[in-house]
Amino acid sequence: MARMNGLPRVMSSGLTRRSANGALLGAMALALLGGGAARAQDTVTLGAVLPLSGASATIGEDQRRGIELAVDKVNADGGVLGRKLAVAVEDSGGRAQSAIDAARKLVSVSKTPVVIGEYSSGNTIPVGQYLQREGIVHINPGSSSPVIKTIGDRSFSTIGLDDVAGKFTAEAVYGMGHRKAVFLAPNNAYGQGVYTETKAAFEALGGQMVANLLYTEGQSNYRRELQRIAAAKPDVIIYSGYGQEAATINREAFELGLSKTPWFGIYLSMCTADSRPETVEGQMGMEVNYVGPDGAWYRDAYQKKFGKEFATTFSGYTYDAVMMAAAAINKAGSTEPAKIRDALAALGDYAGATGPIAFDAQGQRKTQPYIVVSYKSGELKTAAK
Amino acid sequence: MLEFCLHVLIMSAIFGIAAVSLNLQAGTSGLLNFGQIALFGIGAYAVAILTRAGLPWPAALLAGMAAAALGGFAIGRLGRDLAAEYWALATLAVAELVRLVALNEDWLTGGPQGIGGITGLFPGLDGPARALATLALAAALLLATALTARRLGETQFGRVLRLMRENPDLATALGHDIVACKVKVLAIGGAMAGLAGGLYTLYLAFIGPDQLLPFETFLIWTMVVLGGLGNVAGAVVGALLVTTLYAGIPFLKDIVALPSDLTGSLRVFAIGSIVLAALMLKPQGLVPERLRRLHAQRP
Repeated sequence: MARMNGLPRVMSSGLTRRSANGALLGAMALALLGGGAARAQDTVTLGAVLPLSGASATIGEDQRRGIELAVDKVNADGGVLGRKLAVAVEDSGGRAQSAIDAARKLVSVSKTPVVIGEYSSGNTIPVGQYLQREGIVHINPGSSSPVIKTIGDRSFSTIGLDDVAGKFTAEAVYGMGHRKAVFLAPNNAYGQGVYTETKAAFEALGGQMVANLLYTEGQSNYRRELQRIAAAKPDVIIYSGYGQEAATINREAFELGLSKTPWFGIYLSMCTADSRPETVEGQMGMEVNYVGPDGAWYRDAYQKKFGKEFATTFSGYTYDAVMMAAAAINKAGSTEPAKIRDALAALGDYAGATGPIAFDAQGQRKTQPYIVVSYKSGELKTAAK
Repeated sequence: MLEFCLHVLIMSAIFGIAAVSLNLQAGTSGLLNFGQIALFGIGAYAVAILTRAGLPWPAALLAGMAAAALGGFAIGRLGRDLAAEYWALATLAVAELVRLVALNEDWLTGGPQGIGGITGLFPGLDGPARALATLALAAALLLATALTARRLGETQFGRVLRLMRENPDLATALGHDIVACKVKVLAIGGAMAGLAGGLYTLYLAFIGPDQLLPFETFLIWTMVVLGGLGNVAGAVVGALLVTTLYAGIPFLKDIVALPSDLTGSLRVFAIGSIVLAALMLKPQGLVPERLRRLHAQRP
């Protein structure tokens, strides 16, 4: 996907690049002759590890856009410590090994005091653990596994983890009058985390989780899981799935007549993105907001810079990560990781693009403005809660 | 920069061991093991589980090797009646099974979250000293593995393995027990792959089911084929090259100052084209297998 997306951009910008070729060669020579050292002195460089290729490339690219917007904003406002801000972005390929390699490159070669990343929990956890060991500040802008809490005191999240998401989901579903639920989600770090937290919150409210079906990703059909759901006769089916897979599940549920039971999607836009509209008509769900209640300006800035609507919900979180890191560096008056960490922890309430952000004692985002949405004739509408 | 180079060398040595192991199975013996990552993974998880339980790492590493050897033995026994291609597919399936067990048995493997926070090697040292000590250990173990594999290739057993590769029917006709050979070489290869997996876990202090995806098997295959199937030195060269390539390509964009939106596509494109070019220019690999010439073939 990313490769396809990348192609037209190379072509369209080829003209400017060609004319810049001479300058480029000069710059290369300069960089090799030690210009890099001079640049390092008037620039503060942070790092980011994102899935720019592989299965999550669409999201990784959108995360990168958030970073680009934040760097522009910080530099327009005078930079950090009177210097320019830059973020070195590395590709993880969606693979844990490459993600760790990229983090090592950022830490040991680019000497970045802060590294932002990644998207999949399975990559974010080892990257965070590595950064923690090295004493570097880690900011998670996209993963929601509760294990991220345990990485250590150098690790922060600008996105709410599954305990926050699970609690919101449980309350929303219970509030609709459903008492008997089944849970359907992919069997990975994300699915398992969100299941555990939702179940705990739902049962604490007095609901009953009668079956959990964590499915293996990449199956050609999910009838076995769906038939078990039908047998359980739930009031509501709480589910989550990535684009194409959720589409298969929705189509088969529709064919089996299961779509008559209420469905509640966690991150509903992710679940319905690739589904045929008639198969998901009337589904309810929760969604992180693209932007916080006062974040309309961010939507405008994004559209102005990239000429389109938000591609995913995730760009705002990397934007906030960069902005908070920059604020922490300014507050600390230093680029030393230990001082940035303390400043970040003491930042208090921060008004981010994705809403107000405050860290709890473990450096995790305390509250996340989720919304309840419903799917009506082809689009998501905010439902009255 | 030094630390990053050390990291690349350590990873090369670890994957070198896995590549030497695969070369022994596929290059020397003609066993198309598409489930190499399962043997690697068994070693990796065994070490993670045992060190978490408090076992010192050398003991855990030995246990990991034993577990992976047992895994190799089982894979060899499993498909003893299958023809080569069918067996190859079966190994792919076994590797997926191992990954699914790792994904689902939370109580043992940590499930999808994996096992992290492992103490690892040389906790007393830090910074470059630790990296150097790790590199010395990994390089020594790679050397030991490579010498073992080479020595094995020169023995009578090694000759039988090559005969099995070239003409299994003839080997059987000459009275060699093919299944026994297969099982033996897979157990030895398994121990080596388990060693690589164990070192990997100890070094990165993390193992998760995503590290056991089929892609990783084919990465090790790329190393062996690129280096030269059938040659121990080739496997080591291939591992060094592929690891350096994966780690080094990201520097390309720093040098030519490409915009960050090209980072991902450039990496995939550069790795693909370099591997393809190497294979087209040197189809036998960079360090091809040298077979002893027979008298009859001399001009």
